[in-house]
Parts: sequence; C-alpha cells; structure tokens
Amino acid sequence: MSAPRSPVTAAAAELELSAEDVYEAMARLPGYLDISVADFQEVYRLALDHALDRLFGGRRARDLMHPDLVTVAPSETLDVAARRMAEAELKSVPVADAGGRVVGMLSEADYLVRLGAKTFLELLVRFMEEGEALQHRCHETPVSAIMTAPAVTLAGDADFWAILAVFRAHAVRRVPVVDAEGRLLGVLARKDFIHACGLEARG
Amino acid sequence: MSYLGKMRGSAAGSPPRVSNAEVLWSWVGGLLGIGAVGLLNDLLFRGTDFVLLIAPFGASAVLLFGAVRSPLAQPRNLIGGHLIAALVGVIAYQLLPGVPWLAAALAAATTIALMHLTRTLHPPGGATALTAVIGSDQIHQLGYWFVLVPVGLGALILLGVALLVNNLAANRRYPETWL
Repeated sequence: MSAPRSPVTAAAAELELSAEDVYEAMARLPGYLDISVADFQEVYRLALDHALDRLFGGRRARDLMHPDLVTVAPSETLDVAARRMAEAELKSVPVADAGGRVVGMLSEADYLVRLGAKTFLELLVRFMEEGEALQHRCHETPVSAIMTAPAVTLAGDADFWAILAVFRAHAVRRVPVVDAEGRLLGVLARKDFIHACGLEARG
Repeated sequence: MSYLGKMRGSAAGSPPRVSNAEVLWSWVGGLLGIGAVGLLNDLLFRGTDFVLLIAPFGASAVLLFGAVRSPLAQPRNLIGGHLIAALVGVIAYQLLPGVPWLAAALAAATTIALMHLTRTLHPPGGATALTAVIGSDQIHQLGYWFVLVPVGLGALILLGVALLVNNLAANRRYPETWL
C-alpha cells in the first residue's frame, strides 16, 4: 500500500526508514502502539514529504540568484574574456549573444582544456616555458570555440527540486538563470543555494 | 496492488511484544476497571431492573488498559462511541423488533458510520449496539434507559479507573487527548 511518491520524497530517499528501524523504535517505547509498522512508515514518508515541502518548497531560482550580469560574447577572443573575468573575480561567466540570450558558459576549466593543462599549476609552468605561444593562442581563439554549450540553465521560477536536480545532474558551480526567451536574468551559485536552504548545517 | 495481493499483508509485521511491566499494568487496570463496574453493579442494582456490567466493557478495558496510547482508547472515543452505539442499538431494536438479524446488522453498521463521522471510533461500540438488539429481555425492557445505565454510567466508571490507574505507572499517561 505505497502512496504515490512525489519528487520530494524521491529526492530524500536517503532519509528512508526501514521496517527494522521502525520496529526497533517501537520496541523502545513502553506500551502497545496501535499502528502497524507499514502504516508508520507510510505516515513518516508523507510527513517527511510535507516537511521538506514546507522548508524548501517556496524557493525559486529568481529569489536565490545573484543578479550579476557580467557576460562575454561568443565572438570575443579568449584574452579579452579572461581579462573581464579576472576583473570581476569570476571563475565562470555566461556567454550571451547580441540579443542577451545565453548560448554557453565559459569557465576556467574551459581555458585549461584549451591550453592543454590539467591544473592551474601545470598551466603556470607551461606559461613560464612557452608563454608566447599560449598568449598567441588566447589572442586568436574566440570564446565560442572553447565555451561549454549549450549551457545548463534554470528558469526564473524553477523551484527547489528543479534546482536540486540540476546541481545533482551537472558538476557546475554557477548556473545562469534565464527568462522564457533564454535571456540572462542572473546567475545562481551552488554555494548560495546550499546556504539559502541551510543544507550545509545538515551534513 | 492487486485484489488478491492485498490479502498477503505487508512484510513489515506487527508491533513488538510489550514488556512484562506493561503486561502487569494492563492486568491490574483490567482487574480494577471491570472490578469497579461489577462491584457497583452488585451494590447498586441487585434486585432492581437495572444492570451495570455488560460484555462490551470487557472490550473497552482491552483498549483503555492494553493500548493506552491508542486513539481508539481516548475519552472522546470511549464515552462518545458507547453513547452513540447504545442509542443506535436501541432505536434499531425498537424499529425492527421482529427481524433481529436485520436490526443487528443495521445497528452495527450505522454505529461504525456515526462513530467515524463524529471522530469517536471505539470498537467496543459495535458490541454495545449489538447488545441493545440481541441482549436479554432485561436489556430490552430498559428501553432508552440503556443509553444512560448501564452504558453511559459504566463507561464513565471505566474512564475514572483508567485515569486513576494508568497515570500511576511511570511509563503510562492517560489520556493522550480529551477531545
């Protein structure tokens, strides 16, 4: 007799109670409990569902995002884009076309891949050895050649569960939030999302 | 889940057996509860048309002293369930005295439904309704008095004993809720 599982409960599958958990808890309470183990599990699931929805259900991507609109254009060269990212102290920025639509995401990792280095230190070493060549490569390559596209995006009214699904499915730290036409509204950072939901304190 | 599959039950099983201390408290509660009703029956009503000890109180004692925390054992359910059941039972007998099987079925079914609607579900109520229909001539002659004595008064006595006895036990608390 399992009630239909909502995405809420599915996301919290780690919090599932086994029949043995419930039985052991019942055995520790004095007195006869007038409920079957299976019914208790059912009540627990639905209550958990309700609690998670109460805690997180109302959060929308639009309320949690940072409205920074630093972008780079697909046609800009890598050195220009890198300078802008460095000034803004950003490790990744959305790539937006002339109409403001997000067409990709440009990150430090994309630079490393392009310049043939696995880590920042490897890049530093290579830059000290063959700086001219790397500089040249950044000067002639457009952003569109190395950006991650299409970008993983979130709609402005994406709720907690949609946001959680994106961060679970993709190893990204910052996700552009876009309107119905794909235009940039802001950027949602994973750490801001986690902080806003108080998840870090829950282990 | 299929119709036949439902009949297999869940693998999770029933609640654990209670401790020996619980068993003892349940026994003491049952003894004092039914003892009180039975003794008053003898002291007050011997030689009269009234009776106080009826079988449904045995079922109530199971809940009041054996499943103290149960929603079915709370005062609203105990008193409300018995009163509704007694009234329904008497009405059913008065309406259909010649067809006891039908009066009994209607009394039990209607009692369940009304207890649901009033949030007073108390399984012994089913027995109370049946008692009003298939009970002795002495019960039948009580007419609507049956609702007040034995049912109302007996249930109140059981409630009093449950309050006094259950709260003596360190691990018990009664009631969980009044209304």
